Amino acid sequence: MPRSINTRAEIPLLTTISDTHRNPTASDGGAPTARRSGAVRIGVIGCGAITEGAHLPAVLTSPEVELAAISDVNASRLEYLRRRFGLGPIVLGDYRDVARRVDAVILALPNGLHAPVGVELLSQGVHVLCEKPLAVTRQECEQLCQAARSTSSILAVGFVTRFFPSTELTKQLVESRFLGELQSFDAEFGTVGGWSPLSGYNLARSTCGGGVLVVSGSHVLDRVIYLFEDVDVVSHVEDSRGGVEANSKTRFAATVDGRPLQGRVELSKTYRLSNRFRIVGERGTLEVREGQTRSVTYLPSGSALRHELTAAALPSTAAEPDYFQLQLHDFVRAIRTGAAPRVDGEQATRSVALTERCYAIARPLEEPWCEGTLARLARAGAPPASGAAAGSPPVHVGAT
Amino acid sequence: MTGATGFIGGRLCEVMALSHAFEPRPFVHTTGSAWRIARFPLDFALGDLGDGRAVDRAMDGCDAVVHLARGNDAVMRRGLENVLRAAVAHRVSRFVHISSVAVYGSQPPAASVSEAAPAKRSDLAYGNAKLEQEHRVLRYGRRHGLNVVILRPPNVYGPFGAFSVELINAIRSRGVAIVDGGRNPCNLVYVDNLVEAIFLALRRPEAPGQVFFVTDREPVSWKRSITDHAALLGADVPYVAAAELAPSARERLWRDSVRALPGVIADAEFRRALTRIPLARRAMSLLAAWLPSLPGPTEQAVRGWLRGRASVRRNGSSEHAFHADHPFIAAQRRSVAHSSDKARRLLGYTAPVSYDEGLSLTEAWLREARILDANAVVRRG
Repeated sequence: MPRSINTRAEIPLLTTISDTHRNPTASDGGAPTARRSGAVRIGVIGCGAITEGAHLPAVLTSPEVELAAISDVNASRLEYLRRRFGLGPIVLGDYRDVARRVDAVILALPNGLHAPVGVELLSQGVHVLCEKPLAVTRQECEQLCQAARSTSSILAVGFVTRFFPSTELTKQLVESRFLGELQSFDAEFGTVGGWSPLSGYNLARSTCGGGVLVVSGSHVLDRVIYLFEDVDVVSHVEDSRGGVEANSKTRFAATVDGRPLQGRVELSKTYRLSNRFRIVGERGTLEVREGQTRSVTYLPSGSALRHELTAAALPSTAAEPDYFQLQLHDFVRAIRTGAAPRVDGEQATRSVALTERCYAIARPLEEPWCEGTLARLARAGAPPASGAAAGSPPVHVGAT
Repeated sequence: MTGATGFIGGRLCEVMALSHAFEPRPFVHTTGSAWRIARFPLDFALGDLGDGRAVDRAMDGCDAVVHLARGNDAVMRRGLENVLRAAVAHRVSRFVHISSVAVYGSQPPAASVSEAAPAKRSDLAYGNAKLEQEHRVLRYGRRHGLNVVILRPPNVYGPFGAFSVELINAIRSRGVAIVDGGRNPCNLVYVDNLVEAIFLALRRPEAPGQVFFVTDREPVSWKRSITDHAALLGADVPYVAAAELAPSARERLWRDSVRALPGVIADAEFRRALTRIPLARRAMSLLAAWLPSLPGPTEQAVRGWLRGRASVRRNGSSEHAFHADHPFIAAQRRSVAHSSDKARRLLGYTAPVSYDEGLSLTEAWLREARILDANAVVRRG
């Protein structure tokens, strides 16, 4: 049996993310000055599941920011959140009223609204931390980046997994050639359902921008680009039939040190997969499983041992930090110093561009169980087709 | 369509969307469960069946209803009531209710070869809930002139269905055996055959007011079904006599429950969860203090009773009891083969997909879904 060994490999210390910013400087973007002992006034636009579960708790427990407004079109949802978090008179139905009250916003609207709302806010000098993906198309991403540049506002993108120490550790291991020459990478993430946006924006391409490749894959694509930089799509197979895909299989080609590196990413919302990211090199395999936030597993070639690598500086017993708050504090640091946030608009544009490229070359996934019997079922009970007219007009079945 | 995110609803949406025969409007409760049907650009209605207004809004513009939803008591009663009420208010032309042969309980009477056999309340809670639903649907049909049709499928199998997945898992964990030669009928219907029956129930003028069994064309024995699934795994399933089975635990409900308690309480995860309840925290500390305070022999007696007789398995021993109340074993003791003759006669039901084809399509999906090893060698008898 392989044993689990904590080898505490010689990895440089991880960068401390949450700097305490004791000397806040006013942002130079013409945004309103921060109040309450220098706290940045934050608005939250879009009050779905991620806002309730992650953004509001992160904002409300942070000494760096002050929640100045929340907004959603759904009045009952706003009322629910107002009661649940004991919020004062900061609840607004129209996001346009938010801009006047805040320095910065967390934009957690359905993906299709990121660009129109984000561009409007950035153009007014409001800093934006936008949930991932940055937008639905590359062109929209570029509009957002341009709007941020035009008012020197900060545009940060919520790829929260970038704040996991395991992501930074993987990057360091790749850069230090820990595995020797890299041979391939592969990622598999699949669950039966899960993550249920309340508005149902995930059910349509127009509002979500895509299916599992956008919902689960954007993190994976971001990680692939972050680790290997020069990445392109070779093939993409998926099961969308005019809606959003639930399953996808993508092959990538990257170039590392001038040598080609093959990659494979498989995603599912209908099957459980092994839920891990893996990099194979001549000396062994690195593996990061879903939820493995603080270590990277190393499986040396030709060995039955399994090593859990962590950064030397990481206290192994400390409680898991709130990664959404780390992300928020990184955003605040960027606002105060004018430095780029960990994931800026330009970086986030690259994963959207890669997604767009996948969809552009997509081929259908083979599903023999889906179409094989159709011809025998479609006309069951229908009156015989007369002449050239095939079939009766469709009947609207449904409701509820 | 209610229950549209489930196994049958998912396939029904798929066939409707791909064939353009109907325009489904799926009523969706949990958007994260709707991935399979969101592959199609459908007219989704979001809401809760318990919310009459949401159901009413969703019904707007619908010509017919297929009610597939199942769930807790509120879904089964108030949910169905809301759907029926909205269907009447919007004057839909057809209401197809998917019931189940479970209305006959765990031991269906011999007469239930035909759906004319009366169903009574039984030992099966799910069956009772479905029976009550049938009564409600038929009552609405009589009182409000709603064109209702009731379909009673048996074990529905196919891609995305639980039947094959659970049978494979039971074979893997060695929980299932072939009982008394496995000669009793398995009562299967491939999901596409049920879809055909739903299409017929929606379209045929002979359907309203009727109740139909919907089964596959050829009866398949449990022996065949189990050995075919075992072959997908490359496994063998033992044969046992009904007389050898470990008795049903039903009569030992209380004793077994109490005996299971210490194990559950000893489970660290459970205790961690339980300590979130202040009252439970107090009770646990009292119990922990009480047991050691008893006189030695009494404490031993209490512990002995709680733990029951130890079962020690010898190294490598294959000694293994099969339980009469395991779902796949209990099901093998039902001898009735429900017949879909009436659906064939009245609706022209053909069950166009054979058992072999259905199983082969299911296998392709099981491999894609990694429930079966994608590259394993298959032998089928």
